Amino acid sequence: MDFGELTTDPIDITSVARRVVPPECGATVTLDGYVRKFTSGRETLHLFYEAYEPMALKEMQKLIEQAKNDFEISNVGIVHRLGKLEIGETSVVISVAAPHRKAAFAACEWLIRELKRTVPIWKKEVYADGEVWVDGESEPPAVAGG
Amino acid sequence: MSVRVLFFGATAAAAGKRETYVEVADSSKVAVVTDLVIKHHPNLEGHKLLFSVNQEYAEQDASISDGDELAIFTAVSGG
Repeated sequence: MDFGELTTDPIDITSVARRVVPPECGATVTLDGYVRKFTSGRETLHLFYEAYEPMALKEMQKLIEQAKNDFEISNVGIVHRLGKLEIGETSVVISVAAPHRKAAFAACEWLIRELKRTVPIWKKEVYADGEVWVDGESEPPAVAGG
Repeated sequence: MSVRVLFFGATAAAAGKRETYVEVADSSKVAVVTDLVIKHHPNLEGHKLLFSVNQEYAEQDASISDGDELAIFTAVSGG
């Protein structure tokens, strides 16, 4: 099955990976993205993620459909955590099941890159001496048809 | 017509609120609404802003209709 979800609970990586597996597949590639302690040398105490939830779910669904169209893969599962996250906690899991591993690796890399560019989720880094909403690094998606 | 405008992350912090309503002429462009919102919330100036209408990315010259939901936010930073 395919799924794109948001949750405020800790993410169970193994269960995400298991849910995408169909019998015809030979490999599942799973990305475990988690909270880094240092960004540009500054120590982060914790993170806070916020989403424009209905739009984020729609954009995740678009990515899943696009990935299944462009890569030789069977199923995609994406779960992104929201709310307060401690250092080392998983913020995002992307699992891609495919008949062969090569396409699964390529699709997983494409999915995280696009998620960071298009899915409306924002990260706030909280430091000992303040907090900053992080601006995305990538250009936003071009708008089709105005 | 009345347009509901949502803020998230950096724009919610800059505006000091999560949503607002603005009154504009029927069939106004996104730019008309956002100019008005920025005028009322000057802290939004200086941010590179992105827009969505009814939960789809939209450009400044897109038209909006009565009851549409517009969101103003900065480049996304999930992952």
